[in-house]
Amino acid sequence: MATKLLMAKSPEEAAVSKTASAAFVAGGTEVNRLGSDIAEKAETLISLKKCSGLDGIEADAGYVTIGAMCTFQDLVESDKVPGWLKEAALFMASRTKRNMATIGGNIAARRSDSYLIPALSAAGAVLELLGSDTKAERIGIVEYFDGAYDDKLITSVTVEKDIRLVSKRYANTAQSHAVLTMSAAMDEMGVYMNGAVKNVGLLHFCDLEKAFNDDPEISEDKIIEMVRTCTGLETADDMFGSDAYKRYLIAVTAFDLFKQLKGKEV
Amino acid sequence: MAKQYKVVHCTVNGKEIEQVVDVRESLTDMLRNDLHLTSVKKGCEVGECGACTVIINGEGFNSCIYLAVWAEGKEIWTLEGLTGPGGELSDIQQAFVDEGAIQCGFCTPGFIMTSWEIVNSGKEYTDDELRKALSGHLCRCTGYENIFRAVKKTMLRHLGKFEEAELVNSQGITEYPDPMPFK
Ligand SMILES: Cc1cc2nc3c(=O)[nH]c(=O)nc-3n(C[C@H](O)[C@H](O)[C@H](O)COP(=O)(O)OP(=O)(O)OC[C@H]3O[C@@H](n4cnc5c(N)ncnc54)[C@H](O)[C@@H]3O)c2cc1C
Ligand code: FES
Ligand code: FES
Repeated sequence: MATKLLMAKSPEEAAVSKTASAAFVAGGTEVNRLGSDIAEKAETLISLKKCSGLDGIEADAGYVTIGAMCTFQDLVESDKVPGWLKEAALFMASRTKRNMATIGGNIAARRSDSYLIPALSAAGAVLELLGSDTKAERIGIVEYFDGAYDDKLITSVTVEKDIRLVSKRYANTAQSHAVLTMSAAMDEMGVYMNGAVKNVGLLHFCDLEKAFNDDPEISEDKIIEMVRTCTGLETADDMFGSDAYKRYLIAVTAFDLFKQLKGKEV
Repeated sequence: MAKQYKVVHCTVNGKEIEQVVDVRESLTDMLRNDLHLTSVKKGCEVGECGACTVIINGEGFNSCIYLAVWAEGKEIWTLEGLTGPGGELSDIQQAFVDEGAIQCGFCTPGFIMTSWEIVNSGKEYTDDELRKALSGHLCRCTGYENIFRAVKKTMLRHLGKFEEAELVNSQGITEYPDPMPFK
């Protein structure tokens, strides 16, 4: 269990200090929870609270770059942040938690009911990372989840501002864990669909993208049937719903989001 | 492994304090165990219920998932800081009493701290916004309506809308007479 805390003063100090027995702590809403296995497994926590340069929001030539330590409430209150990202940030219903939780922490937490990852993934967000060798690199958010970047510090997130993007989240109450959070974006190349399915993981719905791109007039019934019989989808019965329910929800949500996108101005 | 300690300097309810804390200690533990401010409740300790809410530099935080060492240099308010020198209740506390917004009282300090931020924001929240602003708090007893009404009435009074505050009905809806005498 972590008994030590390092108050890093710079991103470099934080990145260099990240060893296998250390974990970053940003807003602490995941790490500091009673019974958190992140704090249980680590010996040292590296607090990012006093790190300089991780908290600004800059808008430039159609892109917005958000410091990893920006809180959900910072996103909601900033006039530089696009509406689709504010909407995803408001999925975190509790204002007190929005005052604490950060965008970097949400991405790194990789939860299967993630608030922001579906929207950031559909938007093709780019992360800036800092490794223990203090070399900075930029990668697409989807690449971040392949496991090779776990020890790196996320320093910022860049998204395109003027994109068409819509999201939906299903939970019993505003405070509950969501069974499905799904986002879809569209540009001249086609539609992009990403989601988070509770207890399943973060998903990129390539088959659905292809189906909508090949036939924009495809019927809802065909989409429902496609997801119902999809063998690549590892949904199972659990307390969040049956396998059949989750598949149905993914299908009708994908159809709804696509319909919304078609009628949506940038 | 040996624990690590740090000295924290901050202001709590207007008083400057210096406190030695375990670096993994939560702000809830520092406020309750070291400073004996027991209005700060331990409900879930996972950021779910809002019972531990305190105001840090003007904004509400769940103190159970906030490290005490992060309080260095901060200005913190708990429910104890809202009462007057003779123990007089602040207007938001009195409104909770008047509207029957308390039963067992466990959630009440947390609710009042968030409400205090709301009523002092100078902003007029819509009913919908007000419900959302209170949504980080759980109450097992009251059914929320009385709490909502207490906060709404106090917010309106803070904005100088005393007559409108009296028109808030038992469901929390403002029942304007026809024709509306003000606005
Ligand atoms: C009651 C409750 C309900 C919740 N429900 C949800 C939910 O439905 N969906 C959801 O997504 N989350 C949920 N969370 C978890 C959490 O609030 C969010 O994921 C939040 O965005 C995490 O941000 P943080 O800054 O608090 O992260 P922290 O708790 O500080 O860290 C989270 C993880 O990210 C790592 N990390 C933090 N910052 C960085 C960085 N810059 N670079 C690299 N790694 C980093 C940490 O090491 C840790 O592994 C919930 C939390 C609570 C308390
Ligand atoms: S005790 Fe802190 S949110 Fe429940
Ligand atoms: S009054 Fe009992 S929990 Fe709210």
